[in-house]
Amino acid sequence: MTANRPGRARPAVVAPTDCWYALAPSESVGRSLLAYRVAGLPIVVFRTTTGQAVALHDRCVHRPYPLSAGHLDGDSLRCGMCGFIYGPNGQCLSVPTQSRIPLGAAVPAYPVREEQGLVWVWAGEPGRAALHRLPELPWLTKPGWASVGGDRLVQAGFLLLHESFADVTKIPVLDPALSPSVLKALPPPLEVEVTETTVSLSRKYPPGRLPDWQAHALGRPQDEELEHLQEGHFLSPAAWVDHWDVVLDASGTRARMRFTQLVTPVDDRSSRLLWRVSRDFGVEDSATAARLAELFAPYYATLAVALETMQQVFDEDGPEPEVNVSSDVAALRVRQIVQAMLAEERAPVPARRPANLTQRQLSPPRTPGRAQSV
Amino acid sequence: MTETYTSLREHEGDLVVEAVDQVAEDVVAVTMADPGGDSLPPWTPGAHVDLILEPDLIRQYSLCGTPSDSRTIRVAILKAPDSRGGSVYVHQRVHPGSLVRVRGPRNHFPLVASPRYLFIAGGIGITPLLPMMAAASAAGADWTLLYGGRTLASMAFTDELGPYGNRVTLVPQDELGILDLDTALGQPRGDTLVYCCGPEGLLGAVEQRCAAWPAGALHLERFAAKPAEPDAAADKPFELVLARSGLILTVPADKSVFDVVQQAGVSILGSCHEGICGTCEQIVLDGEVDHRDSILSEDERALNETMMICVSRACSERLTLDL
Repeated sequence: MTANRPGRARPAVVAPTDCWYALAPSESVGRSLLAYRVAGLPIVVFRTTTGQAVALHDRCVHRPYPLSAGHLDGDSLRCGMCGFIYGPNGQCLSVPTQSRIPLGAAVPAYPVREEQGLVWVWAGEPGRAALHRLPELPWLTKPGWASVGGDRLVQAGFLLLHESFADVTKIPVLDPALSPSVLKALPPPLEVEVTETTVSLSRKYPPGRLPDWQAHALGRPQDEELEHLQEGHFLSPAAWVDHWDVVLDASGTRARMRFTQLVTPVDDRSSRLLWRVSRDFGVEDSATAARLAELFAPYYATLAVALETMQQVFDEDGPEPEVNVSSDVAALRVRQIVQAMLAEERAPVPARRPANLTQRQLSPPRTPGRAQSV
Repeated sequence: MTETYTSLREHEGDLVVEAVDQVAEDVVAVTMADPGGDSLPPWTPGAHVDLILEPDLIRQYSLCGTPSDSRTIRVAILKAPDSRGGSVYVHQRVHPGSLVRVRGPRNHFPLVASPRYLFIAGGIGITPLLPMMAAASAAGADWTLLYGGRTLASMAFTDELGPYGNRVTLVPQDELGILDLDTALGQPRGDTLVYCCGPEGLLGAVEQRCAAWPAGALHLERFAAKPAEPDAAADKPFELVLARSGLILTVPADKSVFDVVQQAGVSILGSCHEGICGTCEQIVLDGEVDHRDSILSEDERALNETMMICVSRACSERLTLDL
């Protein structure tokens, strides 16, 4: 069946580890032990008595027992099974049955940075952490902005999430009730800009009406037609940010929204999604905050279901060739960047296409000589 | 039918020159920042940018600063009077405060993780290797650098290499002769990646001596196109299928794949048009490629998975690209 279909198979992707992933909001990391998994690695996170966030490999060196199921005593972590005690640098400090500590007894400590209201963890080679920057998300903490958000485990690989963020036409299909009127009109030209490690897309919509909640929050008449500007940014495998700005007057004043989607690959088929919807208008307005939460929590739930469905198809039936269209260039570029990252880490990089396609002739398009878009 | 026109471009912007430092005889290091103080795009060791000095004067230079520095980038430029004008332009007309148009970064010389590296630099070829050595040190890898130049005074960044001590071997030709590649590369090693950048003579010599090394061990970066291209008079027309766009085109004998694709209205990236910068790389879905670029290794060519469409053509009558 597969051999008769044009296109290329989606690679089954493992996740890069040489990347800062936003594991948790700062306020949720405290004196209790939190268990996470990043790119397949078990990680226990806690805060020391001096307030330092710490991330250690979540497995006792003695026997396969998670340290997150143990106890925090001061700045030390005691295994709940065997009583080995570890310091915040991962070094074993004592064992219950002998006075000498076994040589080399330590769990890996993962580099941690706490910035922009988030605890970021580096799951790759620790020495390379300092060479990589964090994505810049100033609207999460800057005065003059307010955010609502949530997080969820999505049973889908992290690349499926990024590819869906890169697909600008999905919102009106997924959740027609949510999308502004301009999104339902014909999509304007898509501009895609790339660098070595990032992908950005932008679109400028002709004037259209604001959704009810936004007209209310901005105190604008509902039938007013305003210009909308949309941007999407793949900043790293850990972050996709959307901008959605409305131009309010002739001088170009904007009402700005930022949709921050922080993705952490859990394993090759599940991801954590931490989302924030930020605005620089109606910042003090609790009704606007409530309305945004009411709109976007279900939106991300709907998106998660769609992604999980795709992952299920992928799991059950395996990769099959897929047809891409011109506007998929952003998603394809994201895939290329991830593949290059994996190649540099010497992680297993999936083949670009299955061997059975190499000798296959493509069936010619139906209308030769004329551009088609979907 | 509704059409969404998609245009693709590389990041491009004017940067302000913060410093021009003489780092060796005829070599200046140019440090640039965003005029508004914005962060510059992230990059990894081995990356390069285009300096768009004039509309028709676009040159590629490796980034030789620190990837974690979000505020500035640095390139180093050798004044080569017999070159095509880029280096002379920079040496004469770029000063602190000048605005320079920069496109990129992009990377076709990435540093792959390895327990051990052998870096080989010829002259100004030291530039992409500088951030690589810093990254290799940070990752705890074992590495050595063999660095040759005309004279010690002509060799850039010897001061920055000082802290690396005996990892670095400086070989000024007027004192010590040419690099001893036979000793450095004579014994293939499975745990070592070789990274080499420099003039064509050095690259060719290293390539030759690495023939017995494991596939994928050698990584090269060229400043100029490889010599000895096939006879252009023998070029034949062929059919070009752009799968994603749903187009079938003809590439005549006297036009490149790049030009034909662009004239058909499909938005693609391109920069050097000589097969050295890698910007126009495209995925090949079907057909046999006549590779003429200076980027892909023999192994990568044999895979027939991608091609540089500015110079490479088809051996088969039909070529299908993922475009």
